[in-house]
Amino acid sequence: MKETAMTDNKNSRRSFLGKVAAAVGVIAAAGYVKTLISGATSPTVGVAGKYTDDAVQQEEALLGNRLVIMTDAEKTQRLDELLRCHYKEIS
Amino acid sequence: MSEENNTNPEESADLDNSRRDFLRYVCTSSAAALVVASESSAAAVVEEANSADAEVTVAEFFQGHFVLMSDEEKKQAIARLEKRYSAQYGKKTTVSDVAAPDGVLFGYALDMSKCIGCRRCVHACAEENNQSRGESAIQWIQVMKIPKGNISFSAEELEKGYPEKSRFGDYGVQVGGNAYHPAGLTTEGAQSYYQDEAVPDKDFFYMPVQCQQCEKPPCVKACPVRATFRDHAGVVLIDYNWCIGCRMCQLACPYHARRFNWGEPNLPAEEMNPKTHYFGNRPRMKGVMEKCTFCVQRTREGRNPACLEACPVGARKFGNLLDPESDVRKVLATKRVFRFKEEFGTYPKFFYYIG
Repeated sequence: MKETAMTDNKNSRRSFLGKVAAAVGVIAAAGYVKTLISGATSPTVGVAGKYTDDAVQQEEALLGNRLVIMTDAEKTQRLDELLRCHYKEIS
Repeated sequence: MSEENNTNPEESADLDNSRRDFLRYVCTSSAAALVVASESSAAAVVEEANSADAEVTVAEFFQGHFVLMSDEEKKQAIARLEKRYSAQYGKKTTVSDVAAPDGVLFGYALDMSKCIGCRRCVHACAEENNQSRGESAIQWIQVMKIPKGNISFSAEELEKGYPEKSRFGDYGVQVGGNAYHPAGLTTEGAQSYYQDEAVPDKDFFYMPVQCQQCEKPPCVKACPVRATFRDHAGVVLIDYNWCIGCRMCQLACPYHARRFNWGEPNLPAEEMNPKTHYFGNRPRMKGVMEKCTFCVQRTREGRNPACLEACPVGARKFGNLLDPESDVRKVLATKRVFRFKEEFGTYPKFFYYIG
């Protein structure tokens, strides 16, 4: 009976290996497609491009901001907050 | 099927025996192959370990966080690094671990009305701090060129505002003074990668941006392994050997002041600064973060940061925020100082002002 089960088309070792191979194939294909897609959307290519990307991201983060002048009271408040935070950390 | 059922038991036994023998041969040969492979790889490891570089690499891999090391472990770690850097760059390299001074809270101030956008601070910083050059260049300072029309405030009305009061209480909403005008400047239309033949451009002013050394640094909170931390002098530092390169700190920083080494840094031996600090300007490796440290290798020894010394117009001030007589405290007391990204609540210790 054991040998019989081995030759059953649905439960045979060959069909199991076939399923495994198919699953591996699907995963590999998905990985390859993902690589293609991410490569297409990336604005720059290569390691040198990644350094540029970092710098560009900083530039974008700094654009469109407002620097507001502090009043004397605000400056004092800012300094007090800094010092309080520092002494709290030290203690 | 019927044939298989009718198989002679003796033949079946032979089949089992041959399969068993086959498996035995496979196991034996695999074991032999493994032994040979392990012997050869062990020999290779021993051969590699004979070189100083491999010894250092293995030892560095297993070393802990520098702050938590014993004095003896720190000495060994520094000796390893000095040996490796000296061999790698062909010059005697020192790695300091001088601690932050007590009773100090470092702060920085930059006069935007003086800055001429010459970028000497950027280049001085790169040279002092052994930053990567060429295609993989890393710069810790980014200079923004901002149109002068972006600044707008009335100095006379600056102190005339007051919090609105109502029968429900004081809500702190300012009325009067500059409340109805944009009091400050915007970075709208600014550019960082200007290629002017001559500076300054009379229609622009310049704003160098670097790590703001926040008193409540979000990068420190984001680091999952505590590789980045704030020392008791208020400077945010990184243990490069403990950093896992996850880049969470880069995402957390509102100023995007951190840089990641995507590849092996390109640092020519002749341009390498051999006087380094463990948390500062020692050469970094691929896959770690880096950023401005207020030149920890200098400031912990009582010197000024390289960017300040390089500034030809004296736009930069550095000092101890705990000392009322320091340059930074005097700037805070007497100059028009800006709030920059205050909404993040990070308490930066880098102040922009106009003189």
